[in-house]
Amino acid sequence: MSTQETGLVIQKSAVVAASPEKAFEVFTEGIATWWPIETHSIQAMDKEAGAPETVIFETGPSGRVYERMTSGEEAHWANVLVWEPPTRLVLEWKVNPDAIAPTEIEVRFTPEGEGTRVDLEHRGFEALGKDAEEGHQSYSQGWPKVFQDFIETVGK
Amino acid sequence: MDALGDPTRRRIFELLQSGPRAVGELAGELPVSRPAVSQHLRVLKEAGLVTERREGTRRIYRLDPDGLGELRAYFDKFWTTALESFEAAVERKGEEKQ
Repeated sequence: MSTQETGLVIQKSAVVAASPEKAFEVFTEGIATWWPIETHSIQAMDKEAGAPETVIFETGPSGRVYERMTSGEEAHWANVLVWEPPTRLVLEWKVNPDAIAPTEIEVRFTPEGEGTRVDLEHRGFEALGKDAEEGHQSYSQGWPKVFQDFIETVGK
Repeated sequence: MDALGDPTRRRIFELLQSGPRAVGELAGELPVSRPAVSQHLRVLKEAGLVTERREGTRRIYRLDPDGLGELRAYFDKFWTTALESFEAAVERKGEEKQ
C-alpha cells in the first residue's frame, strides 16, 4: 500500500477471471449486478425506505452514475472524469450535493495471466475535512479548483 | 467501533461536510430527536471525526480535519466488500456466456 502525503488514499486490488474488456464492462454497465445498494445508496440511508430500484452507470467520456429510487426520482452519485476502456476509469464521486468537495475514484484494469487485475484507488478525503470551519467560500478558492472544469454531482 | 456504520451518523457526517452546525440545526434536518442527534455526535466525536465548540449556550459541531481515520477505515472496509461482490458478478457473467 503506497500513501500520499496525507495518507488518506484507499487502495484495493482484485484479480478477476475475465478479460479487461469484460471486467471493465461489468464494473461500469453492470454496476447494478454488484453494487450493494441495499446498504450503500441514498435511499437506503433511511432504513425504512430500504433499497432503491437500481443504480445506473451511463457509460462514455461524459457519463455518470446515479441511483433510481423506488419513487422514480434520480439521485446523482458520480461523473466520469476519465473514460479509457478497457484500461482506466476515473470518477468524481459526490453523493451529498452539499458536500464541500468530491472524492475521486480511479480504477485500472490490467491483464494478469488468464484474467485481469483490478486496482482501485479512492482519494481526496482530506478535502472533506479541510476548511470546514472557514466555510465554503474560502474552500472554493483552494483545492477544488482542480475540479473546477467538472460539473458537480452526487453519489454513494 | 463503527462510527459511520449507522445511517443516521453517516447522514450527520455528510451534513457537516457543508460546514459547522449546531445540534438543533442538525436535528431539524433529521427524522430523529435532538437527544438522539447528541448521542450520535458523541460517537462521532469519540471516533475523532468531529469536534465541538461552545458558542454561548449552543454547541457547534464541525468535521475534524485531522481525524478522518475512521472515514478511511470505513471506505477501506466498504471497497473490500464491494470488490468481492464485483468479482462474483464477473464470474456469474462468465458463466452466462458459456
